[in-house]
Amino acid sequence: MKYHATLLIELKNGILDPQGRAVEGVLQGLGYRAESVRVGRVLEMELEAASADEARSQAEKIGKALANPVMEVFAVEAVKELA
Amino acid sequence: MKVAVIQFPGSNCDSDAVWALERVGLRAELVWHTQGSLEGFSAALLPGGFSYGDYLRAGALAKFSPVMEAVRGLAERGHPVIGICNGFQALTEAQLLPGALLANNNLHFTCKDVSLRVERRTAFTSEYKAGQVLRVPIAHGEGRYYADDETLQQLEDGGQIVFRYTQQATRHGPHAYNPNGSLNDIAGIVNARGNVLGMMPHPERVVDEVLGGTDGLGFFMSLKRALEVVA
Repeated sequence: MKYHATLLIELKNGILDPQGRAVEGVLQGLGYRAESVRVGRVLEMELEAASADEARSQAEKIGKALANPVMEVFAVEAVKELA
Repeated sequence: MKVAVIQFPGSNCDSDAVWALERVGLRAELVWHTQGSLEGFSAALLPGGFSYGDYLRAGALAKFSPVMEAVRGLAERGHPVIGICNGFQALTEAQLLPGALLANNNLHFTCKDVSLRVERRTAFTSEYKAGQVLRVPIAHGEGRYYADDETLQQLEDGGQIVFRYTQQATRHGPHAYNPNGSLNDIAGIVNARGNVLGMMPHPERVVDEVLGGTDGLGFFMSLKRALEVVA
C-alpha cells in the first residue's frame, strides 16, 4: 500500500528565528496584526507500507533522521492512504 | 602523514585547504565523499562550501555521506578532525561536535574580516599565544553558534572554546565583531577530547601575503606539529 505522509520540522520555541522576524515585519507592513511568526519546513513523501501505522512509524524515523534535535522539533502531521 | 580533505558535492574550499596544508609541508589529498575508508590518513579536514547545496540545513545531508563513518572512526581513534565553515556545520550535524549553527541573526550572507581571539593553546593553536588576536575572514549565512545553556557551560568549563569573535583590533585595524550573533562570541570549538575542531572563519584563506594575510598559517603549522607528535 502507498501512503502520503507530511512531516513538519520547526525551530524549537525560544530559538531566535530571523526568517520569521523578517516575514513578520513584512506582514506588519502590509497591515496585518501578525506576531510571533515562525518559519518551518514541510516535507511531503509517498511511503510504501503495509498499514497506516507502519507508514506513520516510517515517517517518525525519517523525522528523527532529518531534524536536528539541538534546535528543531518535528511532527508527523498527516498520513493518508493513497487511492 | 597524510591529511584527507573531504570533497562533498558543493564543497568549494577544498583546493584552498589542500594548498594551505601543503604550504606548511603536510601531504594532503582530496577524498570524494562516497569513499567509505580513510585508511592511510592521519587526519581529516572537512572544507567550506555548500555541501548538497545546503539543502535541508547547512551540513545536514553531508552527515549521511559514506565517508562520514570513516571520519567518525578517525575521531574516535584520537586523530585530528577539522571542520571549517560548512565542515563545522557538518561536524555538528553529525554530532561529532556539540551545538548547531543557525542562520546569521541579520539574515545576511556575511563575507568580511573578523578579529579572532585565540582563547587557548590546543593541538590546533599551539603556534599561537593564548589571547593573540588574528585577522581571519568569514563567509557564511549560517554561522550563529547555538547550544543550550548546559552545553555552553560545559564548553566554557572544559576550555573547549578555542576561538572567539572579539572587539579587539588587530595590527590591521578594527574588524567586524560577532557578525552572526553567536552565543558567547563562539567562533570555534573542540570536542571534550580535544581532537575534533570546528570553526566558522577560514584560516586557509590567510596563509600567504599574496592573499592579504598570513594569520592562518599558525593553524596549519600547529596541525603539522600535532601530527608529528602522533607519528
